[in-house]
Amino acid sequence: MIMTNIPLETRETVTDSKTSIKSIDGQKLKRLLEASLLWLKANQQLVNSLNVFPVPDGDTGTNMLLTMQAAYNEIANSNESNIGKMAKDIAQGALMGARGNSGVILSQIWRGFARALDTLPEMDAEILVRALNESRNTAYKGVVRPVEGTILTVIKDVSIAVENAALKSQDLQELIRTAVNAADESVKFTPELLPILKTAGVVDSGGKGLFFILEGMLRYIQGSSLEASAVMVQPLANMDLTDTMEDIEEGQDVEVVIDFSTKEPLDLEIFYQRLSEIGTSIQVGEGDGMYRMHIHVEDEKTNEPLKYIATLGTWSKISMENLKLQMSGKQDSEQGYQLAEFHEGDIAVVAVSPGKGISRILASLGVAAIIEGGQTMNPSTEQILKAFEDLPTNNVIILPNNKNIVLAANTAKSLSVKNVHVVPSTSIPQGLSAMLRLDPEGDADEIAKEMVNALTEVDTCEITTATRSVEINGVEVKNGKFIGLLNGKLLVSGNSVDEACSLLLEKADMTARERITLFYGENIERDEVDVVSQHLSELYPDHEIEIHEGGQPHYHLIISLE
Amino acid sequence: MTTADNTLGSIYISHRAIASIASQSALTSYGIVGLAAKNLADSLSHVLVKEPIMGVEVSFSDLVLDIDMYVIVEYGTRIKSVASSVSEIVKYQIENTTGLSVNSVNIHVRGLRISNTD
Repeated sequence: MIMTNIPLETRETVTDSKTSIKSIDGQKLKRLLEASLLWLKANQQLVNSLNVFPVPDGDTGTNMLLTMQAAYNEIANSNESNIGKMAKDIAQGALMGARGNSGVILSQIWRGFARALDTLPEMDAEILVRALNESRNTAYKGVVRPVEGTILTVIKDVSIAVENAALKSQDLQELIRTAVNAADESVKFTPELLPILKTAGVVDSGGKGLFFILEGMLRYIQGSSLEASAVMVQPLANMDLTDTMEDIEEGQDVEVVIDFSTKEPLDLEIFYQRLSEIGTSIQVGEGDGMYRMHIHVEDEKTNEPLKYIATLGTWSKISMENLKLQMSGKQDSEQGYQLAEFHEGDIAVVAVSPGKGISRILASLGVAAIIEGGQTMNPSTEQILKAFEDLPTNNVIILPNNKNIVLAANTAKSLSVKNVHVVPSTSIPQGLSAMLRLDPEGDADEIAKEMVNALTEVDTCEITTATRSVEINGVEVKNGKFIGLLNGKLLVSGNSVDEACSLLLEKADMTARERITLFYGENIERDEVDVVSQHLSELYPDHEIEIHEGGQPHYHLIISLE
Repeated sequence: MTTADNTLGSIYISHRAIASIASQSALTSYGIVGLAAKNLADSLSHVLVKEPIMGVEVSFSDLVLDIDMYVIVEYGTRIKSVASSVSEIVKYQIENTTGLSVNSVNIHVRGLRISNTD
C-alpha cells in the first residue's frame, strides 16, 4: 500500500564483498538507503508485532517504513554524487515524512548524520564515526527525558561500537557490520532497561526497526537477499500455535514443538530451509535467548527435528502430539463432544446449538454437524451451508433451534443443490424432540414431516434475566429480575430462578406432560439447579425430572416439558 | 476536583494531579523539549510558586477530561507527528493511571527550541 516498486539496481555499485570499502559517495548512499528500505519493508510486520504500548506508536514498523519511504522518495531520481548533499536531501525527506515517535527519532538520526557530512563529497571511516555521533547527539536533544531501552539507546550503542571499531579498521564494510552487531546486541538488551518490554516478553520495536535499517545496508553489501525471509520469526510471547491445528493435511502425522538455545545466533534462512525438508507448518519463535520451533512431520520423521536441533545447540523441552489421533478425536478434545460417525448417503441432520452441553446431547442423538450459535449469536447462512455442503449425502435436515435462525436456514436451503428440509424448531427442547424421530436410513421427506409434528409435542420454558424494565403481556418486569418464557412468550417474573421457574410451570399445562428436563446454562451453578429441581419434584411429584448441563449463555434454564 | 466512586466511597483526583501526569508524560515524549506558560501572568505566578505543572490546563465535566498543553518543540522535527504523539501518550497515561476518560488533548505549540541550525 505504501511502497512503490523500487528496482534494486546492480549490486556492484557499492562493492565486491571481498574487497574493503574505503569510502562511500552520494550514489552509493542512495543504494544503501534503498536496501534499508527494502529490508525494513520485508520485516515491517515483525517490527509491528513487537508493540506493547497501545499508544503512541501503534505500528512502529509501518511508521518507520513510511518515514524511510519519504526519505527515499526525496532522492529517488537524484544523480547527486556528493554524499553530504545526498544525506541532506534524505534528512529533509525523512523530516517531512516522519510518522509516529520512532519516525520522528529516525528523522533526527538522519538529520544529525547529514549535518556531520555537511558538503563532503565522500564518507570514510573517520567521517562515519563523526556522523553517527552527531546522529546520536541530535536524537538525544529532541527529548527532555530520554527513555532508555528504546531506539535512542540503540543509536547510542551503535555509535560507540563503531567509534571503537574504527580505531582498528578503516574498512566501511567492517564498520557497518560492527554497527549491525551492536544494534542487535543493544536491541536484545532493551528489555533489561525498559521493564514494560520485559513484562511483555518482547524487545523494543523502534530499536528493532533501526537494526533492520542497518542490516539492510549490510545485506546489500554482502549480496544477501533483501526479500522477506520465508520464515517469520515471532516474539516467543506472541507465538500462538492453536491455528496450526486447523488445517491438517496428508503427511502431517506428528506435531513437534522444541524449545532450544544455541551458542551462535541462528541463521534463520538455513534453519528454515532445513526444517522445510523435514516437514511443514513451520513456525519459529524467539525470545529471551531461546528459540521455539513448531513443525508437522510424517511418522517416519518424528525424530528428525530433534536430531537437527541437537546439531545446533541444546534443547530444553520437547512436546509431541499425534495429529492422526487429534484429527479423529478433534472435536472431542476441543469442543467437548464427539459426533457420531457419519455414513455415506444417510440423512444428515444439521443442528444449531447454543452451548457445549447441548452440543453433547445433540451429538449423542446422532446429528451430523453442529453449528454454534443462538440467541445473540446467530450463525450466518454461509455457516449453515458450510456445515452440510461437504457431507457425503444428498439428504439434509436443518434444525435451527431458534426462531431468529429459521430464516437463515431457509436461505441456506434455497442456496443448496441438495435435498434440504428445514424443520423450524424454535427452541432446544423442540430440536431434541425432533431428533428422537430420526432414522438415518429412512425416507428423508417422511422423517422431516414427523419431526415437524414432534415440535408441537413439547413445551419449552426458558428462564433468563431481564435486560431492561418493561411491561409485556401484563407482566411487569424490572431490569435484572428473572423472567420466565413459555414457548417464547414472556409470562412471569420473579426474584430468583427458583421462583420464576415454579411460577412459569403453573402457567403450563402440566397434566398433559409427564417429564420435565432441565438444561442449565453457563451462568448458573449446579447447586442452584438442584434446589430448583428439588422444589419442582415437591410441586410435581408425579413427573419425572432430569437435569442436564446445557452450557448455553444468557438462559439460566431451558426446560423441556414432554 | 475530579471524582470516581468505588464501593467504599469516593475517590478525588485533583486537576493538579492530572496536570502532573500530563506534564511528566509529555516530557518523555519525543520532540517535546519543554512546557510553556500560557501567558505572562501565568508565567509569573508559576515562577513564584515553582509550579511543576506550568503549561497544562485541565478542565473536567461528567468524568470526562479536556486537556490543553502549551509546549516547546525541538526545531527540525516534524511538528505534526510530535504533537500527535504527545497527545496520544498523554491521553493514554491519564486514562491508564486514573481510570478517567479523556475527551480531548489539545496541543498548543508555543515555540521551537533551536539547538542546531542545519
